[in-house]
Amino acid sequence: MSAFLYGVALQWKLDIRSKSLLISCYLVPLIFFALMGGIFTSVNPEMKDTLIQSMTIMGVSMGAFIGFPVSLVETYGSDVKNVYKVNGVPLFFGLISMFLSTFIHLLLMSVIILLAAPAAFGASLPQNLPLYFAALAVFTAVSLGVGSLLGLAVKSQAKLPLFAQLIFLPSIMLSGIMFPRDLLPEILAFIGKVFPATWGSQLMLNDGFRLQNLWYPLLLFIVSSTGCALLLSKLKKE
Amino acid sequence: MYHAISVHGLEKNYGSHAVLKGVDFDVAKGEIFALLGVNGAGKTTTLSCMEGLKKYEKGNITVNGKMGIQLQSASLPAYIKPMEAVRLFAKWNKSSINQSTLATLGIPELKNKCYAELSTGQKRRLHLALALTGNPDILFLDEPTAGLDVEGRASLHDLIRLLKADGKTIVLASHDMAEVEALCDRIVILNEGRIIFEGTAAELTEQMGKHYIIHIKTEQGSESFETDNIEDSLLSLLGSLKQKGSRIRDIKVDRGTLEQHFIEMTRRTKA
Repeated sequence: MSAFLYGVALQWKLDIRSKSLLISCYLVPLIFFALMGGIFTSVNPEMKDTLIQSMTIMGVSMGAFIGFPVSLVETYGSDVKNVYKVNGVPLFFGLISMFLSTFIHLLLMSVIILLAAPAAFGASLPQNLPLYFAALAVFTAVSLGVGSLLGLAVKSQAKLPLFAQLIFLPSIMLSGIMFPRDLLPEILAFIGKVFPATWGSQLMLNDGFRLQNLWYPLLLFIVSSTGCALLLSKLKKE
Repeated sequence: MYHAISVHGLEKNYGSHAVLKGVDFDVAKGEIFALLGVNGAGKTTTLSCMEGLKKYEKGNITVNGKMGIQLQSASLPAYIKPMEAVRLFAKWNKSSINQSTLATLGIPELKNKCYAELSTGQKRRLHLALALTGNPDILFLDEPTAGLDVEGRASLHDLIRLLKADGKTIVLASHDMAEVEALCDRIVILNEGRIIFEGTAAELTEQMGKHYIIHIKTEQGSESFETDNIEDSLLSLLGSLKQKGSRIRDIKVDRGTLEQHFIEMTRRTKA
């Protein structure tokens, strides 16, 4: 346990030293929030009620799909995994430590948005903060689960951005955080339901933390965890 | 004799290409053992099979002891610092860190650098330190001194001798014949997936039937003579030089280097 905890704390430090993760987990989401928060609330003042949720979903999606898989490929698509393998470090350690470290970074970014949005743009705070954070934790974990699958399955740094955008862009465009989902064509609204961001936005709204909004994210988390376990076992045998 | 490693009838294919065609050898406990071969001879594959990194089709490998492995191609996260990596690996191996080994490898001096900032030689030293964190009985070193300067190479050789004195078994793969000759108790030469020689460097010299070569440098210039009878030839040569009144500036006797024997043996096998 001591090795595991030391490893997670170390990964947290490495993520702070790695500018790329800081950019995708803090800088870009917060700049997007600073710019779009003003635009959204000016164009449609009703957006103030859901601004925190929308900006948080965008930021978490960016960190989980764009930033996190890069760190995984740096470990599992390189000689680092062989060094872990031959020196007694279990292969799952890298994945879990990076998952937990990025989870904490994304929660911190979300807290910054939560604290800044009311003061900066007059955004409404969620009515039930504990339930909001529970929903945020579920959404972040599910998004990182999908990001894990992406980072382990795509071993090439060159191909990764393409696959990452294939998940990130529809997540943002079809989840209802940019445009109301009612205005989307039926087929696009249906495709949007495949991505975790759609479910995340429903979960994080007031009174949204319900079983009907939870079953799909939990299923997706189980599927991605199983997929990761299979990919790690394949890597171990290679 | 107690064997640290036994390899018997090892066969390995890559697709339809047979890379190892029945490799047999034993490594005694506490010896420094080298695997030699030209590129594609099968030495890295043999090493990987022994390390458990590659599966093989046929044969048996028994490793009696805890392994420490320094890979030829190795990497760590870009922003990890050397001492952080050592601590992480030591914690996973539930072992303590040997400070004097770390000092010999110069790891504490690198404490403020991230992995990405280390030179090739510094990275090699770090990976060797990581291989030693679990206090292994058997150490696999793949090209351990590649990228090291003369001083680094000499201090690493001293460390390898210390590890042997400490009772560790060391299996080395290297292209540096001088290094192998200086460090290893026994060698195996692989060629096209088969062992073509197993023994000591002296036995290889005997097997190659090399004459003695006398190199003499006088005021008149340098000359080399080949002979089977070193004693008679040397005495007669010195006598003749004295008669001529030549002054000797340097004299050297050799029986060919391991590198020369290695090249000749692989050439003969191919022919």
